[in-house]
Amino acid sequence: MNYDCLIVGGGFSGLTCGIRCQGAGLSTAIISAGMSALHFSSGSIDLVGYDHERKIVYRPFEYLEKFTGAAPDHPYAHCGVETVRESLFFLKDVLAAEEMEIHNNGDENHFHVTGMGTLKPTFFSQRSVFNSAISQAFARKAKIAVLNFEGYRDFYPELAITNLLNNSLFRDVEISTGKLVFPDYGDPQKNPFEYRSIDVARIFDTIQYLDEIAEQIKREAGDAEFVAMPAFIGIQNYKKHHQILQMLTGKLIYEIPALPPSILGMRLDDALKSRFAELGGVLIAGDMVKGGDFRGGLLDHVHTQNYGTARLRAKAFVLSTGSFFSGGLVSDARGIREPIFDLRVSATSPRSTWHSPQFLDRKGHPFLEFGVETNGRLNPLDAGGNPVENIFCTGALLPHYNPIREGSGGGVAVATGFHAANQIIKACG
Amino acid sequence: MIDLENISFDHCIKCTVCTIYCPVARVTHHFPGPKQSGPDTERLRIKNPELLDDSLRYCTNCKRCEIACPSNVKIADIIQSSKWKYFKKKFRIRDYFLSHTDLMGSVAVNYATLVNFFTGLPPVKFLLDAVFLIPSKRTFPKYARGTFRKWFRKYAQKKQAAFGTRVTYFHGCFVNYNDHSLGKDLVTVLNAMNIGVDITRERCCGVPLIANGYIGKARKNARYNIASLQKAVVDPGSRIVTTSSSCAFALKYEYANLLEMDNSSIFNQLNYITRFIYDQFQAGNAPPMKPVTIRAAYHSPCHLERMGGVIHTIDVLRRVPGLELQILHSECCGIAGTYGFKKEYYDVSQKVGGALFKRIERVRPDFVITDCETCKWQIEMSTPYKVLHPVNILARAFER
Repeated sequence: MNYDCLIVGGGFSGLTCGIRCQGAGLSTAIISAGMSALHFSSGSIDLVGYDHERKIVYRPFEYLEKFTGAAPDHPYAHCGVETVRESLFFLKDVLAAEEMEIHNNGDENHFHVTGMGTLKPTFFSQRSVFNSAISQAFARKAKIAVLNFEGYRDFYPELAITNLLNNSLFRDVEISTGKLVFPDYGDPQKNPFEYRSIDVARIFDTIQYLDEIAEQIKREAGDAEFVAMPAFIGIQNYKKHHQILQMLTGKLIYEIPALPPSILGMRLDDALKSRFAELGGVLIAGDMVKGGDFRGGLLDHVHTQNYGTARLRAKAFVLSTGSFFSGGLVSDARGIREPIFDLRVSATSPRSTWHSPQFLDRKGHPFLEFGVETNGRLNPLDAGGNPVENIFCTGALLPHYNPIREGSGGGVAVATGFHAANQIIKACG
Repeated sequence: MIDLENISFDHCIKCTVCTIYCPVARVTHHFPGPKQSGPDTERLRIKNPELLDDSLRYCTNCKRCEIACPSNVKIADIIQSSKWKYFKKKFRIRDYFLSHTDLMGSVAVNYATLVNFFTGLPPVKFLLDAVFLIPSKRTFPKYARGTFRKWFRKYAQKKQAAFGTRVTYFHGCFVNYNDHSLGKDLVTVLNAMNIGVDITRERCCGVPLIANGYIGKARKNARYNIASLQKAVVDPGSRIVTTSSSCAFALKYEYANLLEMDNSSIFNQLNYITRFIYDQFQAGNAPPMKPVTIRAAYHSPCHLERMGGVIHTIDVLRRVPGLELQILHSECCGIAGTYGFKKEYYDVSQKVGGALFKRIERVRPDFVITDCETCKWQIEMSTPYKVLHPVNILARAFER
């Protein structure tokens, strides 16, 4: 098989890159081994939420202008702030083409509520998490009802509320709780279902249950104007059904990102894959790249588990295989490796320096900042230290940034995927 | 002692992504989903087989959970092998008949007209439903008169000697007993590409046997097929092709992973037909085609998805001039081989396929194209459209 651009890794970064390349007329394929980290994400897209002192960043672009000058190895510095901005609004347009509404607070960050009841700064959110009506309701300190689904194990409203009330923004807001039940299910304890977000989402996706659910919401929320629920309001029909529920109840309905599988993240995944397919891109799912051969300092082809001896060729290759969690990086007794091509990795030594002694260290763990060393074009380096000019590394595989401490995972995935695509388009055109 | 080789369930991080993409869990609350039926409860079953839960019978073995799994857990294999390891063996005449396709076929083709007539009669269907729990709503695939092998020996075999390059064709039960035209079309297509066709001794690949728990018989067939096919591919350049995506999947992957048989002697030489044709086209063996003027919707079968073969079929079809191809969103059709022929699963099977049927209706194609014979039965029964195999299309384009 022969493509202009072959992307290894079908996560947020690989999909963004693939959509940009295929949209520019390049024949593009994405090889993906299992579903991506979007299924574990909040479904909001963080740009940069915290500075190096863990203080909240309110105006991310302004902050990045200064920050990237001082951190030349940071992925955002490789992209340049203008490209970072361009990539995010490119993504917003891509999602709009799939009829997915994404909201931002102008050039400023906004907050979303977490399942623990804390607030996290982010840049883009889905309509049920951030829009002008929601921010006005927060500002007027409208009464909130936090509702849960009986039998759903991944959200504890009492915990969330206790934490929320500790926050100065919510100190004098009235918050109540309530429970929704699905009568046809009988006793949830005896049901073989273990009620994860996906099970509840399927109920919300089914139109015939909406009237009943709306009645329950009205009853349980009482006079609260604002209803918050874990994010399980449907996958296929979420947009329509969220609107119907708001109409039937006359209340604002807010989705709180909950434990995986992340429904908000899946919606992003669905929309991006649908866009990529619509443009004519090829998604090879459930396969794994096992290696490749180089010729004249360039990657000539790769081979995969399913295709055995067949060679997949391309002019440019993108490595968006993620970090340790997705298998883009592996660690063993000898050190940290990139498993496909054994590319040069930036990591500390010895092993004891990889992590901080505290699990929830505010500075984050050093291993989160390990990754494949690249130049500014995102090309990795070969054994001799020369860049491999037709491989581009993007997303969580990159070193010198800490997605947890900075609150920058989504933004780096999108910006580096887009930055790589721009260069591939230029090289192929 | 726990077999330390078999701990892929231990890689499960409980993310539940497999359950999201399970077509059965999507439509019925009676199936707790692949995570719970597979890796979660496997550890219990290893300790005590009494902890076996009946609900895992709902699994269709479509393998979509394995495609979705980010941690490379062989979820469907775990569930399949638990079915035959832990369920008490109970002889059920229906399951025996449904799964022994070559035995049934070799008898039925001698009385094809009679069998097809009777299996279509409402009172017979009523009886099958009441006594054997085969749903009366299900239409039966028609049997052909005589076998494909007989036709091949009589009309095609002699001409094949004229070709310098030849491949071995594993035709499978469907071509042999139900649809000779697919086998005939394969001969047309390969001959047009200047390649001869050989057949060798074969038995049912084992897919229906595995699904119905006849593992001993499945292993026996596997041993027979491996031995027979490896004799045909002694020369490393020789190739085996199949026109059934599920036969190819079984011969390559189920034999090795589920039946734990050594099929390395045939693994690299055996391929589903569109992969073989794709390679030939790439190597420059692409005879001119004439336009076909067909508007078709393509449905990708689950097992072809699992093998990663869908891109070859799409690529090969896209080269056919005049074929307007609409690729359907990848979804399970619900039949899962013999699953949809069982009364207790019939409704689930139809619900699983519901989304796909709606998509097909929206496209309003001239034909639906798919690689799998049981998907074909399901779609032909549940939509008004006739279903063709990619090889049927190629045969039209290559016809002189």
